[in-house]
Amino acid sequence: MTPAWAHGICAGLHASGCREVVYVPDNPLSHILAVLGQDYPDVRTTLATREEEALGIAAGLYLGGARPVVLMQSSGLGNTLNALGSLLVAYQIPVLLIISMRGGPGEWNWAQVPMGRALVPVLDAFGIRHVTIEDPGSAEERIRAAAALAFGTRHPAACLLPRRLTAPGGRS
Amino acid sequence: MKRIEAIVCISKTLADEPVIVSLGHPAYDLFAAGDRPLNFYTWGSMGMTSSIALGLALALPGRRVIALDGDGSLLMNLGSLATIGACAPPNLIVIVMDNGEYGTTGGQATATRSTADLEGAARAMGIARTCTVRSLDELERVLAESRHAPGPWVVVAKVEESAPALKPPQDCVFIKQRFMAALGAPEPGTEGMRL
Repeated sequence: MTPAWAHGICAGLHASGCREVVYVPDNPLSHILAVLGQDYPDVRTTLATREEEALGIAAGLYLGGARPVVLMQSSGLGNTLNALGSLLVAYQIPVLLIISMRGGPGEWNWAQVPMGRALVPVLDAFGIRHVTIEDPGSAEERIRAAAALAFGTRHPAACLLPRRLTAPGGRS
Repeated sequence: MKRIEAIVCISKTLADEPVIVSLGHPAYDLFAAGDRPLNFYTWGSMGMTSSIALGLALALPGRRVIALDGDGSLLMNLGSLATIGACAPPNLIVIVMDNGEYGTTGGQATATRSTADLEGAARAMGIARTCTVRSLDELERVLAESRHAPGPWVVVAKVEESAPALKPPQDCVFIKQRFMAALGAPEPGTEGMRL
């Protein structure tokens, strides 16, 4: 059974006109990919080898008229930074980033903590606005809000998926 | 052949193909060879040229899309070859200006100067059509062939560094908006609308 929050996210993406999803996977994101695969055959998913590459592919999709989405884990944002700044922000290319969080409360892996802790300050430093999905019931609305922000104002925006959403009970 | 000669040769064959070009000297030479709105000049994001072109090729399957990359840049994003091999867009042509050096930053050697083989890497990643060219004649021939034989293509052009004389426009948003308009779908927000 795929969780309700994943269905909400996919409904929000589809309602926002997003048909292109580029991703580097992790465990929670696999639920989103599963729902897309089952219920949204008109959404294309493209696997990238690295999150920076995913941003490059997404930028090209936007130039070709799409509303691209990139799925990554918080650790992966560290792999994107130059492309985030010198491509998406500098050229004002809107991409909706959906970021599965590690390194917060419930984290067991110390190696995930530094990047997890830096993620929001890094987004703020780039001027990338972000929303957090706190509960399954608000997932669709939050995604629609983040997509409106990105594609309406032509600037990347992010939607964060905390562990309390994706692994309730504290499992990481 | 010098890089500027190779880029002039490529530029002469262009019709309505969008070109994504790597920052620094390749972008300068493409501008010098002939500015056109369908040139997307990058000013940063080193390594992303082939990825941007891949995304564009996926979005616009009916159009040939050209990536004009450098050896130093492609070495920074070799994973892109794996993704291009897996997605296999027939309309993507990646042309690598391989001068064996970081020309824009003062000519420090890259790994292709000694051991690295970018055509071999592309082939190993399952890319359908690959070749290495060393003369303008060979380059012209393969560009003509790429019009008929579906890709993806990776063409490695062995070139010598040459000093660029011109710089392209530097305003990133201008480059993007001009490019999207020339593709036929102006960026949302750049035109008025009915109330």
